[in-house]
Amino acid sequence: MIVDARGVSRVFSMPAGPVTAVREVTLQIRDGDHIAVRGPSGCGKSTLLHMLGCVETQTSGTLLFDGQDVSRLSDARRSLLRLRHIGFVFQRFFLLPMLTARENVELPMSEAGLPRAARQQRVRELLEYVGLAARADHRPSQLSGGEMQRVAIARALANGPRLLLADEPTGELDETTGAQIAALLDRVNQSGTALVIVTHDPALANRASRVLTMRDGQIESEQVA
Amino acid sequence: MNAIGFAWRSLVRQPARAVLGVLGVAAVGALLFDMLLLSRGLIVSMQDLLDRGGWDIRVSAAELPGSGLRVPNALDAADSISRLPSVQAALVIRSALARIDRASGRPIRASFQGVATRSTHPSGSRLRAPWTILRGRDAAGPDEVVVDERIAAESQLEPGSEITMRATCVTDLEALPATRLKVVGVAEFPFQTTNEHTTGGTLDALKTACGGNVGHDADLILVTSTGDPDGTAGAIRGLLPEVTAATNREVVGRLQQTGFTYFRQISSVLTTVTVSFAVLLITVLLTVSVNQRLGEIAALRALGFSRIRVVKDVLAESALIVGIGGVLSLPLGLLLASGLDRILKGMPGIPVALHFFVFERQALYVHAALLTATAIIAALYPMRIVSKLPIAATLRNEVIG
Amino acid sequence: MRLGVIAWLMAILLPWPPATASAQDATPPDVLVSRHLAEAEDLRVGSVIRLALDATGTKAREFRVAGIYEPTPDPSRLGQVPRSVRLHLPDLLDMTRPLDVPAGAEYVASVNVALVDPADAEQFARDVNARLPGVLAQPSGEAAGSAGPFRVLERFHLAIAVVTIVAATVFLLALTIMLVDERRETVGVLRLIGLPVRRILVQILLEGVLVASVGAAFGLVLALLSEQLINLFFQWRYDTALVFVRITRDVALTCVAIAVPLGASATVVASWALLRRGGLRLARR
Repeated sequence: MIVDARGVSRVFSMPAGPVTAVREVTLQIRDGDHIAVRGPSGCGKSTLLHMLGCVETQTSGTLLFDGQDVSRLSDARRSLLRLRHIGFVFQRFFLLPMLTARENVELPMSEAGLPRAARQQRVRELLEYVGLAARADHRPSQLSGGEMQRVAIARALANGPRLLLADEPTGELDETTGAQIAALLDRVNQSGTALVIVTHDPALANRASRVLTMRDGQIESEQVA
Repeated sequence: MNAIGFAWRSLVRQPARAVLGVLGVAAVGALLFDMLLLSRGLIVSMQDLLDRGGWDIRVSAAELPGSGLRVPNALDAADSISRLPSVQAALVIRSALARIDRASGRPIRASFQGVATRSTHPSGSRLRAPWTILRGRDAAGPDEVVVDERIAAESQLEPGSEITMRATCVTDLEALPATRLKVVGVAEFPFQTTNEHTTGGTLDALKTACGGNVGHDADLILVTSTGDPDGTAGAIRGLLPEVTAATNREVVGRLQQTGFTYFRQISSVLTTVTVSFAVLLITVLLTVSVNQRLGEIAALRALGFSRIRVVKDVLAESALIVGIGGVLSLPLGLLLASGLDRILKGMPGIPVALHFFVFERQALYVHAALLTATAIIAALYPMRIVSKLPIAATLRNEVIG
Repeated sequence: MRLGVIAWLMAILLPWPPATASAQDATPPDVLVSRHLAEAEDLRVGSVIRLALDATGTKAREFRVAGIYEPTPDPSRLGQVPRSVRLHLPDLLDMTRPLDVPAGAEYVASVNVALVDPADAEQFARDVNARLPGVLAQPSGEAAGSAGPFRVLERFHLAIAVVTIVAATVFLLALTIMLVDERRETVGVLRLIGLPVRRILVQILLEGVLVASVGAAFGLVLALLSEQLINLFFQWRYDTALVFVRITRDVALTCVAIAVPLGASATVVASWALLRRGGLRLARR
C-alpha cells in the first residue's frame, strides 16, 4: 500500500468563515493503481491530490504514505518523501524556462544527489521514453505544449517515483496531443507506477481502472473497471 | 545544479534586468567604496606625508599648525634637543614671505623655507631637509636655493639659474631688499598647497634673502628619534616646557579629532545611505523577481525541493547580483575616487601631496563585508516569501490566474 | 570708513582666585567670551578672568566678561569647541606687542572697511592698492576666505549626487522593466483587442508621471523630516549652530525636476521594449 487515507478532511479558514474543501475521504492507493478523480470545479479534487502528494496536510483524519503518518513528518521529511517517491505533473507544466529539456529533467535527480554520470544516463532514457531525445537541448519556449508536458512527465519520473500525481495534465492541450499524453501516462502506469489523475476530460478518466467522482469535498461514487 | 548555478541561470534568463541590477550595485558599490576610502584617506595620507621625510617628532609653539605662533630661540632649542640621547637630529624650519622677480610679468609670491640641522648623533647628518629633490641638488650654501616645479616652470628656471628675491622675515611692512640667489635644484615640497609657490634653502640662505633680519624664532623644529618617538617627545617636553612636542601619530590623532571630522562624518552618513539604498533596491528587485516565479517555485517544492534549497536559490541570486556588482564597483570606485579627490583638492590650503581617497586593504575588507551583509539583508524578505510559500495554494492560484 | 576694532585671541585661562576688594577698585577692560568657553569654565557676565599669552603666564592681564557670544559657525573647524575671547584691539595689541616694538608700530592681519556705498568697493580697493604699497585691498566678495571650501564642497556634493542619480536611474529602469513585465498579459490583451501602441504608451506614460510625482512628493516629505533630524543630531553632536542640511525651494524643485521625468522616462523605455513584441506573444503565458 502506498497511500492509506482514512477519513481525511481539509478545512480552509476564509474571511467569510471556514470552508471544507475535502470532507472525510477514505482512499487506498496500491502499486500499479490507475485512478482518475472527476467532479465539478471546486469540489476538492486538487486539494485531495495535494494531500495525497504530501503537499497539503489534512486538518482531520489519518493519511499514511508508505506506512508513515504524513501529518507527523517535518516539512523537510515531506520534501524528501516527495522527491524520492512522488512525481507531479501540472496543468501548466511549470518547466523552468531558463533550463533546457535535459536540465529540467535532470533537476530532481541533482537535488536527490544522484551522481552526474547516472543522471545523464537516466535523462537520456527518460527523454527517449517520452519521445523527446531529439529536443533535449531545447528550452521550453522552443517546445510545443504537448512537448512541454512530455518533458514535465519525464521530470516527474526522474527519481523513479512509486506514485505519479497529475493535475489536469491535458487541460492546456488539444484533443490529439491530449490523447498522446494520456497514452504516455498509461505506459507509465503499466510499468508499475501508481497513477492518480485529476481531470475533467472523460476520455482521460475512462482510461483509469478506478474512477472517483467527487462532489462537495466527498467521494460521491467509485467506478471500478 | 547547485544553488549558484541555478541562480546564475535565473539571472541570465532576464539579461536586461540582471545587467541593470548589477550595474546599479556597481554604481552604489563604487560610492560605498569611495566613502570607505574617504573615511580614513586623509589620516593615512597625512600620516604618510609626515612620515615621508623621516622626521618623527614635531616641536612647535602651538598644538596645531597654522596658529602663527613661533618657537622662540629656535636654534638654541634645537641644540638642546639634539643633545638628548634619544635624538638623531633636529631640524629648524623658519619660513618667510618672498617675492621672486621675473624678467616679464608680475613677481611671484612665494614662501621661503630656511632650514638648519643640529645633530650630535653619527647618523644625524644623513637626514635631509623636508623636501625631495627632483632635479639638481639640495641647497647647501648661503646663496643657494631650491625651487618648486611651479616656480621653475613659470620663471623658466633650471639648476644653475639665478633669481632675484625679496624676502621678509619679520613683518609685512618691512622694506624688501633684492638679493641674488642661485637655484641649485628643483624640489617637491610635501606640504605645499595647490596655489602656493615655495622655495627652500639653508637658514643662512634665508638670512641672506631677508637681509640678515630673521629673528631667533622658528615655525617648527623637526626631530628624528633613534627609535622611540613617544619617549623622545616626552623628553623634549621635559626639556622645553613652553613648546609642544608631538609625534607624527599624535599630530594625526589631533587632526583626526578636529580637522578631518567633516569628511569622516560625510563618509559615515553616505556609507549608511548607500548601504540602505542598495538593500532597499535589491530587496525590491529580488521580491518582484520571486513574485513572478511563485508558480515555478511552488512546483519545485511539490517535486521535492526542500525549503532550504529554494531559500538558498534566492540568497545565491542576491549574492550573484551583489558579488558581480561589487567586483565591478572596485575599478569604478577607484576611477570615481580620483575624480572626487581632484575636486576636493581644490580646497584652499590643502597640500598637493595630500589625498582624500587613499586605497587601503582594510577598506577592501570592509567593502566586502558591507556588500555581503547587503546581499544577505536584501535577500531576507524574498527568502521569507519563498520559505513561507504555501505550495498547494500557489499552484491553485497559478492555474486560476 | 569704520575700522573693525575687535580681534580674536585664543585664550589661555589661568586659575584665578575670586576678585578681591583691591582688584575691584580698578575696573578691568571688557572682553566677550564664547558660549562654549563660558559653559566650560562656568563664566558669567561680570566674571573677572586673567588672560596670558602662554601657560606660564606671560603678559597676564585681568579682564571683565562683558558678554557671552555665539561664535559664527565655521564648518572647517567642525568638532573643535571654540574656546575664544574677543578683546578690544588696543588691549590685544598691548598684550601681544613684542618687547622691541614700540606702541603704535604693531601690525594687524586685516582691516575690515565698511563703505558708505558698497557699490564703490572695487574702485576703493584699486585706490588703496595704488596708494599703499604692501597692502592688499580687495572687495569682501572676492576674498577667498571661507567661500573657497564651500564652493569645493558644493562641487563634491554635486559629484556624489550625480553618481547617486545614475545608480538610482539604473535601479529604476530595472524595477520598471520588472513591473511592466508583470503586466505583459494585460498589455498583450489590449494589443489583441486593437489598441494602438501609441495609446498604450500614453496610458503608461501617464501612470509613470503619476507614480513618479507621488514618489517625488513622498521623497520631499521624507527629506523635510530628515532635515530636522539630521540638523538636530549634528548640532547636538558638535555643539554648533551650523546648519548641515537645508532644503531650499530650489533644491526641492531640482529634485522634482529630476525625479518626475526620470521616473516617467524609465517607465516608457521599459514599456517600449515590451510593446515591440506582438500582442499574441505577450498574452501567451
